Amino acid sequence: MSFEPRILGILCNWCSYAGADLAGTSRIHYPPNVRIIRVMCSARVDPTFVVKALVSGADGVLICGCHPGDCHYSEGNYKTMRRIPLLKKVLKDFGIEDERVRLEWISASEGQRFADIVKDMTERIRVLGPSHVACELHADPRER
Amino acid sequence: MKAKIGVYICHCGSNIAKIVDCEAVREYISTLPEVAIARTYKYMCSNPGQDLIVQDIKEHGLQRVVVAACSPRMHERTFRAALQAAGLNPYMFEMANIREQCSWVHDDPQAATEKAKALAQAAVRRVVHHEALEQMTVDMCPNTLVIGAGIAGLTATLELAEAGQKVFLLEKQDHLGGNLARVDLTAPYLDSARDLLIERITRVRSSGNIELLLNSRLQQLQGYVGNFTATLSRTGHDGPGTGKIREIQVGNVIVCTGYREFAAERVTHFGYGKLPDVITSFDFEKMLQAGRIECCDGTIPKYAAIIHCVGSRSAEFHGYCSRVCCMTALKYVHEIKSAVPSCYVSDLYIDMHAFGKGHEDFYRRTSEVKTMFLMFGKGDHPIIRSAGPKDDCKMLIEVNEQLSGELIEIPADLVILMVGMEAQEDAMETARLVNISQDKEGWFIESHPKLDPVATTTDGIFIAGTCVAPKDIPDTVAQARAAAARILARIAKGKIAVDAVYAEISDDACSGCRICNELCPYSAIEYDDKKKRSHVISAMCKACGACVAACPSGAIKGRHFTDQQILAQIEGVLR
Ligand SMILES: Cc1cc2nc3c(=O)[nH]c(=O)nc-3n(C[C@H](O)[C@H](O)[C@H](O)COP(=O)(O)OP(=O)(O)OC[C@H]3O[C@@H](n4cnc5c(N)ncnc54)[C@H](O)[C@@H]3O)c2cc1C
Ligand code: SF4
Ligand code: SF4
Ligand code: FES
Repeated sequence: MSFEPRILGILCNWCSYAGADLAGTSRIHYPPNVRIIRVMCSARVDPTFVVKALVSGADGVLICGCHPGDCHYSEGNYKTMRRIPLLKKVLKDFGIEDERVRLEWISASEGQRFADIVKDMTERIRVLGPSHVACELHADPRER
Repeated sequence: MKAKIGVYICHCGSNIAKIVDCEAVREYISTLPEVAIARTYKYMCSNPGQDLIVQDIKEHGLQRVVVAACSPRMHERTFRAALQAAGLNPYMFEMANIREQCSWVHDDPQAATEKAKALAQAAVRRVVHHEALEQMTVDMCPNTLVIGAGIAGLTATLELAEAGQKVFLLEKQDHLGGNLARVDLTAPYLDSARDLLIERITRVRSSGNIELLLNSRLQQLQGYVGNFTATLSRTGHDGPGTGKIREIQVGNVIVCTGYREFAAERVTHFGYGKLPDVITSFDFEKMLQAGRIECCDGTIPKYAAIIHCVGSRSAEFHGYCSRVCCMTALKYVHEIKSAVPSCYVSDLYIDMHAFGKGHEDFYRRTSEVKTMFLMFGKGDHPIIRSAGPKDDCKMLIEVNEQLSGELIEIPADLVILMVGMEAQEDAMETARLVNISQDKEGWFIESHPKLDPVATTTDGIFIAGTCVAPKDIPDTVAQARAAAARILARIAKGKIAVDAVYAEISDDACSGCRICNELCPYSAIEYDDKKKRSHVISAMCKACGACVAACPSGAIKGRHFTDQQILAQIEGVLR
């Protein structure tokens, strides 16, 4: 059976979540591998959310916020921009590949861009294979 | 104790049910221990759909509700109101987005159904941790700031002022009227733009409720709906009061900053700026206002040509239609024909857009006055060159005519380029100052394009007219009046409910490290020197959550976006 990556999307309400909704209203299709939750701003993304996702069986985490300068709270995404790379460095020490955690900027009008990013990330993680965190915690990752 | 949750899975007609097996989702969700009732229904947002929730809350004592349907950005408010109607706190509710982010973007029914189960389960897991929150109400300052004094700004201002409210009308230029002041007659009824404006400007100038601030700009906007402080400055190179700063208090803002014309020199192939008798629509309006249609050498044109969609509907410049150019072009045909009846007029278009009230009639009337209509293809633009000494005209236009399929050459002494509309140069600066978004073309984004067209994602900031997208005068005026009416309704209430979602710091857990103090973009966090603890001023907090994620002591709780709620949701969605 082929490996179907499971990706958690954490999207800010004002730009990225609206952008994902626009992909929907425009009927732009993308793989069903991403499952989205909403936060008010990408700056709300606590490192524990990413860790929680990885131990809960995610093969990847996609964090999306407004483009730099466009954050609804003016500068929240600049904080995200600093935090996520730091988190990725720590995760690397635990053997979690760089590509599994991805930070992207998506505006409310970029439905197509959101779909493209989901497609791309799904393909990359499919190549990478299941996350070892998920494998170790769940005897058969496909049964989880 | 088991939380009593009701889950409602919406078919959305066939929008969801076509791809997602709603019954399978219902069956799965009913197996979750906290779920007391799970139902599917054709349209949850309809009155009977909402009644279903109200009835179940009353009859079965539901404590929490999940609706799996469209985006929460669409109907979260609708369902919260239903909970409230049934006597339940509106925050005991969560939505799972199985339409925009599932049935509309996936084509495999099985995968989509599995995803819908996960999304619904995540909502159930989250709602278990929801807490009842009390909404705060704040006083609504009855003053309004209107930015931009084109026809949109003037109309909104009058609507508010004549209802007895104070308005600050801010205009960066030294005069009122905006782009309409540059227009002569208006399509389709050929009434004078000057008349439309003068009547309004006179009323604005004589009203006791309006403070007119010319040569002025917004520097900063602080606060929240009902209680904004706007900092204004005077522009201009010299003169009294330049650079002077002043602060005003307003409850709401209407942005009416309009458009700028597309710069014709960017389209190199029409020779604007090189061929002296190739002019723009605004150049031509100037001629009309002066009452004389002529070529640059003072002669009267024997041949005139009008070219549509300059900068609009093109892959190279703007993809959108500027909406007013087709009718304006017909207006020019009319004006040329009545001023110079012998002039031979050609109208070169891609498609004739005559969608508005009275437009089709106007088109019919114009085609009766002997005009040569020539259709060219998108991306296959006409070519203009200077005529030779033997020709009886100044220029020749070569056009690949679509209807006849022939390459046609037409004479021209005067060529009018119908330049489109473009977002203002400083639109991004304006958007940032008032905290609203722009689309990819720079136009301001409405809260909902169909259902909430003049509001924005920032409460208290409204948009009207051509700063939202190209539109003609009737649509501009309708939006301006709509925005004013929205504000008048709020002023009448006197108070406004603000979201109960904000950050809270626990005195017990806070170590007093002050890391959060600098982090808050709204300076909503105060440090209490005596207690050695930080504290959030809830009315100023906009609930971004930046401080919540940053506090090393985990002392800050983001109400309605708590760690517990989000972690439970993550676990649920990755089932
Ligand atoms: C050539 C041409 C002909 C037209 N003819 C017709 C017609 O016949 N019939 C018709 O229905 N429509 C016509 N239109 C459309 C019409 O011009 C618009 O619908 C209308 O003028 C839009 O008004 P507005 O108030 O939205 O914007 P504007 O007229 O652009 O007014 C915006 C105002 O805001 C000010 N402003 C901008 N930014 C700031 C800032 N940051 N701070 C302070 N002030 C600011 C500007 O100085 C300006 O005064 C025509 C358009 C063109 C291009
Ligand atoms: S970051 Fe946390 S511990 Fe530090 S002052 Fe703020 S609330 Fe207190
Ligand atoms: S949630 Fe955001 S706005 Fe509210 S206090 Fe924290 S940093 Fe400031
Ligand atoms: S609101 Fe989108 S990143 Fe801050």
